[in-house]
Amino acid sequence: MVDVNAVNLATNVLLLGALYSLVAIGFTLIFGVGGVLNLAHGAVLSIGAYSAVAVVRATGSVPLAAVAAAAGAGLFSLAFYKGMIRYARESPVLVLILTLVMGLVIEQVVLVAFGGQALAVPSLLAGQTEVAGQRLSNNRVFVFALSWLLIGGLFYFVNRTKTGQAILATSMSEKGAALVGIEADRVYTYTWILAGVLAGLAGLFLASFQTATPLMGRTPLLLSFSIVVIGGLGSIRGSVIGAYLISFLDQVTVTLVSTRLAGVSALVVLVLVLLIKPEGLFGRELAEH
Amino acid sequence: MSETDAGKLSPKNRNDGNVGRRTFLKATGVSAGAAALAGCTDTIGGGGDGGIPDTIRLGALGPADSPMGDSILKSAELAVEEINDDGGIAGADVTLSTKDTKDDPGTTRSGYQELTTGENVHATVGIFGSENLLSIMGNISNAQTVHMTAGAATPEAPARVADDFEANKYWFRVGPVNADYLQQSMIDYASARFDTMGWDTVAVIAEDYVWTEPITDSIEQRLEEEVGVEVTSVQRIAEGTEDFTPIYDQLESAGVDGAFTALAHIGTTSLVQWAQQQRPFGYGGIHVPTQLPSFWDATSGACISTFSQTTATADSEITEKTVPYADAYAEKYDGALPVYTGYSAYDAVYMLKDAIESGESVDSDTIVSELESMTFTGTSGTLEFFGEDGDYPHDIKYGEEYTRGVYFQWQPEGESGTQSVVWPDEHQQSEYQAPPWQ
Repeated sequence: MVDVNAVNLATNVLLLGALYSLVAIGFTLIFGVGGVLNLAHGAVLSIGAYSAVAVVRATGSVPLAAVAAAAGAGLFSLAFYKGMIRYARESPVLVLILTLVMGLVIEQVVLVAFGGQALAVPSLLAGQTEVAGQRLSNNRVFVFALSWLLIGGLFYFVNRTKTGQAILATSMSEKGAALVGIEADRVYTYTWILAGVLAGLAGLFLASFQTATPLMGRTPLLLSFSIVVIGGLGSIRGSVIGAYLISFLDQVTVTLVSTRLAGVSALVVLVLVLLIKPEGLFGRELAEH
Repeated sequence: MSETDAGKLSPKNRNDGNVGRRTFLKATGVSAGAAALAGCTDTIGGGGDGGIPDTIRLGALGPADSPMGDSILKSAELAVEEINDDGGIAGADVTLSTKDTKDDPGTTRSGYQELTTGENVHATVGIFGSENLLSIMGNISNAQTVHMTAGAATPEAPARVADDFEANKYWFRVGPVNADYLQQSMIDYASARFDTMGWDTVAVIAEDYVWTEPITDSIEQRLEEEVGVEVTSVQRIAEGTEDFTPIYDQLESAGVDGAFTALAHIGTTSLVQWAQQQRPFGYGGIHVPTQLPSFWDATSGACISTFSQTTATADSEITEKTVPYADAYAEKYDGALPVYTGYSAYDAVYMLKDAIESGESVDSDTIVSELESMTFTGTSGTLEFFGEDGDYPHDIKYGEEYTRGVYFQWQPEGESGTQSVVWPDEHQQSEYQAPPWQ
């Protein structure tokens, strides 16, 4: 294929990897702490995106839209946990069905409310920046920076704050955590809110990077699956590394092999990891010191 | 009796059975002595020998959640409403049953089956999506019920008619022109406009779907030989592509003046990323999402200066029927404007009306022969189908004297944008404008 520019490739991998990480972290957090495979995760992203769309339409303000994306998805996630998952948590099959159905319901509700047309969310930051002789849209750089800020913030929160450490403890052993007085239900609540907020923001970023569509959460859900399986279910560090690996493979495939194969690499890697190293690169742990 | 006379009939008269015109037409339908027809029990005096039933049942199919499908269903509905208000088809009332295809072959098939076997419709219109159309070609043949495609562009459908005409003759396509002609249309546009646009070097990007195969198979050679531009690459893009950055990086480093597109299903992300990343090349060709009149608002103006082929824009006077149709559509559907599939679906219903009235029968074989010999002025141009021995049997003809659509560009107008026709000359409203960041 034509002119492959290594700087281009590296920047694309870097920028996309951060976004993929953000998409996957909420998913791995809920699994790592609560043991719940949240199949509605992709749909929560679209809640964030469409909350932003609604606010941008009403007010024209992008910062307000970002707040709405975080708050909308966070509140939904909280309600979903408190209203349903909490009661079904002991039955993994029921949880799977509930989250799957909830994901589909959200898609339909969004479809009815906003229609099937793809909608663009304005760039969070307009204009272009030149980096290493390469023009990059400010929006992508901003999304990259914000994603890393959020990932860094999450690392700090989990490892350094009392609530974060309670989450960590619960992820390692619910019984052990209970013995030292950590209330599991409260920890799960925090986790679901946190995952919802991260997913909502990732949804907004995705919408500003691509577009918002009712089914926009399906690819990210699949991507999250691949990423957290590669990284090891429940490991934040593994998710970040998995996200970068997928992003790298995706960009290389599209650039060097064929544009007809976009998105395929994630699935190939998923199958390979499941066959060769099913526990993933970093096993099952929430976070590492 | 003329259509004008029918127009004077009050709705009350029509509901009462409309003794004058309707009885006359039914009587002539009986004497037409056409072949047996499906669901003929309600035919007045028909008894299997053709004629006009009390009620003519039509079916429309399309993906209801997509603007393209929505426009098919609404346009068919509008045409049927207008026809009923104007005395029906040959005096008979018309009913329309709509089915959502979900843009999925399985759902399309079951919807089509319900229409033809469950509801015994006399003809169907619509579809959108070549994959879905191809999935029901066999069903159309089995049902022996006329189907007028609106939306799908694959030339595979007329090829099947050519292969086995007797079995597949019930299929017709009203629009858009098939993908071979879409390629021709891109060449015609490029020949007429690339020079003034400053497009000397281009790359072609097409989505990896059935309908683009005839476009990409020889467009590079034709652009180079017939238009005289350099083509740096022809790329087929996967359905799941959500990041066009690496593709645009390649185009940019190849120094193209424009990305010449053939995109329908995956066009929006591609366009939004081109605009957000302010790529130093133009963008347009056949781009279905940008045809949507609501696209400026949906993309917050990111579609500025993109251009696309389409059947017609709301204010382009392709024929004397184009603007009145768009106006009637807007009035009925709260100001919404039709997209390209709508023009064809609307024309299809009226062509069926003419075919049934002139054949004085709802018998499928009669409708087929009437449609074959018809020259119809529709909203999208002068519509004529190829015959059995034509290049594309039962497909719509392309050309200046028939239908070839227009190319329009999104240009700013006040706070919003407008679709302004840039080709062909007779419909041109403005000159092409380069993107504002170039």
